[in-house]
Amino acid sequence: MTGSSHSFWRTGWPWAGLVVVGLLLYPQFVSRYYIVLSTEVVILALLATSYNLIFGYAGMVSFGHAAFFGLGAYVMALLTKRYESPMVLGLLVAPVVGAAFAFVIGWFCMRTIRLYFSLLTLAFAQLLWVIVFQWYGFTGGSDGIQGVPRPEILNTHASYYYFALGTTLLCLVLMWFIVNSPFGWSLRAIRENTHRSQFLGINDRFYKLIAFTIAGAFAGVAGGLYCQFQKWADPDLLFWTTSANPVLMSILGGMFSFVGPSVGAVVFVALREIIKVRTDYWPLVLGIVLLTLVLTVPGGIVGFVVEKTRPLLSFRKVRPPAP
Amino acid sequence: MSAVTWDLSTIILLIMSGLTRASILFIVAAGLTLVFGVLRVINMAHGSLYMVGAFIAASVIQQVGGAGGFWLALVAAPLGVALIGAVIEFGVLRRIYQAEHVVQLLATYALILIFDDLVKMTWGAEYKSVSVPAAFAGSISIGDRPFPIYNLFVILWALLLAAGLWLLIYRTGLGRLIRAAVEDPEMLEALGVNIPLIFSAVFIIGAFLAGLGGVLVAPLGSIGLGMDVTILIEAFVVAVIGGLGSFPGALLGAGIIGMMFSFGITVAPRMAMAFVFLAMVIVLIIRPWGLFGEPER
Repeated sequence: MTGSSHSFWRTGWPWAGLVVVGLLLYPQFVSRYYIVLSTEVVILALLATSYNLIFGYAGMVSFGHAAFFGLGAYVMALLTKRYESPMVLGLLVAPVVGAAFAFVIGWFCMRTIRLYFSLLTLAFAQLLWVIVFQWYGFTGGSDGIQGVPRPEILNTHASYYYFALGTTLLCLVLMWFIVNSPFGWSLRAIRENTHRSQFLGINDRFYKLIAFTIAGAFAGVAGGLYCQFQKWADPDLLFWTTSANPVLMSILGGMFSFVGPSVGAVVFVALREIIKVRTDYWPLVLGIVLLTLVLTVPGGIVGFVVEKTRPLLSFRKVRPPAP
Repeated sequence: MSAVTWDLSTIILLIMSGLTRASILFIVAAGLTLVFGVLRVINMAHGSLYMVGAFIAASVIQQVGGAGGFWLALVAAPLGVALIGAVIEFGVLRRIYQAEHVVQLLATYALILIFDDLVKMTWGAEYKSVSVPAAFAGSISIGDRPFPIYNLFVILWALLLAAGLWLLIYRTGLGRLIRAAVEDPEMLEALGVNIPLIFSAVFIIGAFLAGLGGVLVAPLGSIGLGMDVTILIEAFVVAVIGGLGSFPGALLGAGIIGMMFSFGITVAPRMAMAFVFLAMVIVLIIRPWGLFGEPER
């Protein structure tokens, strides 16, 4: 979770390989309950990592990421249920729609900064939510779209787990290359010091817009997978409380690390399941955990958010990429 | 689309019901905008305080009963919520004034989750309803349509409150300090003013307003979990359109959104809410700091 990208290049890949082998073998040894749960974790990890492209790397606090997740889910539901298309098509169109909406919304949102950026993303996401919620003729309104068909071959819990895992891993590798490309390093530069990066000739608004669009695309994939996972799509997927989840996962796992949000997704779901067995009050516990995290470790995970201390705390070690 | 006959009494009726909605929105959004103006914190838990106010009111009215119950609730609920506000300010907000927006948003978001479950534990998950106090039961007629007297009472309260807030901000010593704290808290502190105390006072006033909104709305509809999130988003829209931190803005924003609801639901029931968010989007794009606000420092 810590360490610069260089040490990850040197020692990280073997670990990543081990984790992947573990993820591949583990369904053979556990019950169906854990396989279903792991499928959810895998999809949420994709969602959280896509969010962290803009949150952790570009320093943009969007409160509307659920919009692209939900849109992906509805694309999948509409294509496979209403238009009886193959699932693969849904999974290919979902990122395109996610990216298209993210580009348009992002184009407007780039005009604002900080708090007003958060509010504008929230407003756009709520607007989409209302439209989905009210458009009974097309989206099924508040009922959502039930009974989304899944191909025969993926209809066991294990096979869908492997499918979701494969798709997520592919997306994570793509995102890994994106954040370690010159483009990814430019995003970090913009996050650290927008003015200085402008002097270097980086068009910060354009770079951020591209990052926002890419994040929307991967959120769309996550939405498509999630729709097939639960076999329905409902407006709640776009609601602002859903937007809070990837923020929480990024914070829980660590927003300044590539795998942080995935770790956050594991912690989030594990915590939820452990608590739900014991009490009905999962939100209460989540709230207390979150509040404790925010209040007691301001110099820890969350404290990194504080712009002025960030270069001192964590970026002394990081060297620029090899030219 | 339903056929609407646009005679004078219909229009007046729509304006009056729009004003009722606007009144509640103003009372809640005024608290949100006051807290933001001075503390520079978006209090996501503001809607939760409103919900707690409504539930306290329901309990008081149920226990005491009669006309006295409502009046007691009108005093007890806002005060109770103000007390909760004091606890939140001491326990949470005081520690995060210097933090980034995202930290403040997450901390107050955590409070939403906590309050949601605490309310569920205390009052259960069922919806509650409160009858209109006997003194304001019945209705007046506008043209040939009835309009509830209680709604007039709510509008009157909002107007009194707007006047009261104006007096507080512009005609009292505390108000002078609050205005100074908005402009330059560091300078004020250098002059020997106890800034943390001002911040506490402002947050407690904000909580009081949320609680008051909760009591007033109780007889208008059902009280239940989820009302916190609904009002929070609507109050957000009002405060953002008017300009975060601005009272006249909150008043105007509440008027605009109230009318959009009452006319929108009559003209195009499905689209009313979409228009509201569209209005917020447009204002944020053209003038992110709202109609009466100032650009972010």
